[in-house]
Amino acid sequence: MTLIAENLNKSFGDTLVFKDIFFTVDKGEILVIKGKSGQGKTTLLRCLNYLEVLDKGSISINGKYLCKDADGKVQYAEKEDLKAYRLDIGLVFQNYNLFPHMTAKENLLLAPKFLDNMTEEEMEKRAKELLAQLDISDKENSYPYQLSGGQQQRVAIARACMLNPSVLCFDEPTSALDEETRGQISKIIKGLANQGMAIIVVTHDSSLVEELEGNVLTMGK
Amino acid sequence: MKVFNMLLPMTMEGLKVTLGVFLITLVLSVPLSIIVAKLRMSKNKLVAKIVGIYIYIMRGTPLLLQLMFIFFGFHYIPVIGYAFSRHQAIAVAFILNYTAYFSEIFRGGINSIDVGQTEASTVLGLSKRYSFMKVILPQVIKNVMPSIGNEVITLVKDTSLVYILGVADILKAAKAVSNTYSTFVPYIFIGLVYLLIVAVLTKVLDNVEAKFNYYR
Repeated sequence: MTLIAENLNKSFGDTLVFKDIFFTVDKGEILVIKGKSGQGKTTLLRCLNYLEVLDKGSISINGKYLCKDADGKVQYAEKEDLKAYRLDIGLVFQNYNLFPHMTAKENLLLAPKFLDNMTEEEMEKRAKELLAQLDISDKENSYPYQLSGGQQQRVAIARACMLNPSVLCFDEPTSALDEETRGQISKIIKGLANQGMAIIVVTHDSSLVEELEGNVLTMGK
Repeated sequence: MKVFNMLLPMTMEGLKVTLGVFLITLVLSVPLSIIVAKLRMSKNKLVAKIVGIYIYIMRGTPLLLQLMFIFFGFHYIPVIGYAFSRHQAIAVAFILNYTAYFSEIFRGGINSIDVGQTEASTVLGLSKRYSFMKVILPQVIKNVMPSIGNEVITLVKDTSLVYILGVADILKAAKAVSNTYSTFVPYIFIGLVYLLIVAVLTKVLDNVEAKFNYYR
C-alpha cells in the first residue's frame, strides 16, 4: 500500500472532528472522501499533509512514517524524516494558493530550486512537460491574476506534481468551477492516477464522486 | 543678495547633514525593522515582550527626547558608561526610532498575507526562511510601500531635530542667516528645499510602487 492511515483521531479543544478513521490508498487508486461541510474532510487532508497535528493515529507513505502511536500518544517523525515524507505527498488547495507575484512557470520551479534535487535543465523540462500535459503551455509566463479559475487550478496541480509525489491530495477541486471545467479536472485527476499516483480527493460534489469512479470514504452521518 | 551669499554655502553644508541622517537611517532601519517585526511576532513570549517594550518606548516618547537621552544621558547608565559623539547619537536615535515605526508597518504587512501562502510553501517542502524571503516578503513589500513612503517623508522633516545637539542641518543654516540679516527669506528658501527633496522622494517612491504593479 502506498498510503496507510490508521486510527486517526482529531479534536479542536472539546470539539471532536473525527474519530477512528482508517483507510489505505494504493498506487493508481483514487480515494474520494465525501461528506457534508463541517464533517472534518479538509482537516483530515490537512493532517495528512502535516498542516494540522493529530491527537492519535498513524500515517505512512511507502513505509515512511509521518506519525505513529506510541504509548497512546501520537509521535511525529524527526525533521529529516518529515522532509522525506513531504516530498512524497502533494496538496492542491481549494483556493489553489498560487504565489501571485510569480508566473505560472516560476510557481512550478520554486520548490525544485530550493530542494536543489534536479538540474536547471531537468526542472525546465519537467515544468514544460507538466504545463503541456495540463494544456496550459501558453500560460507559462502568465501571472495567476491573468488566469481563469480552471487555469489557476491546473497550475496548482502542475506545481504539486513537480516533485513527482507518490500521493496527491485535492481539497474540493470543483467547488469554484463550472460544469465543463469540472469535467476537465476529473479527467486530469484520473489521468494522474493512471500514471501511477495515489490520489485522495475531498469533495461534497456528488457528480464528481461518480465521475472519479474511485473508492469512497464517507465522513459524518 | 548678501543673504544668499551666506545662505547657499551654509545650505550645502547643512544638506550633507540632512541627507546623511536621512540615508543612514533609511538604509539601516528598513532591514533592521523586518528582523524586529519577526521578533515581535516570535512564539517566544519573552522575546516578543521585550521587543514590544522597545517599540512602545520608541513610539511613546518624542524623538527629540530620545536624541537628548542618547547623547546626554546614555553614559549615566551603570555598566555601559559609553558616551556617544554627536553624530553617533543622532544615528543611533534615528535608527532606533525609525526601526520601531517601520517594524510595526512590516508586522502589519506580514499579518496581511493570507496564511494559505505559508501553507502552500510548507507543503512544497520550502524552509521557513526561504518561504519568507521568496514568497512572503515580496508580497509584504508591495503592501507596505504606501505606509513606508509616508514614514520616509516624515523622516526627511524629522532630520531637522538634530539642531538640539548643535549639529547644523539646513534648517539651522536658515536660522543663522535669518538672525544675521533679520529676514524671513532664508526660512522660505529652506522650506522650498524641503519641498524639492520631498518631490524627488515622492517620484522615487511612486516608481518603486509602480514596479510592484506587475501582479495583483
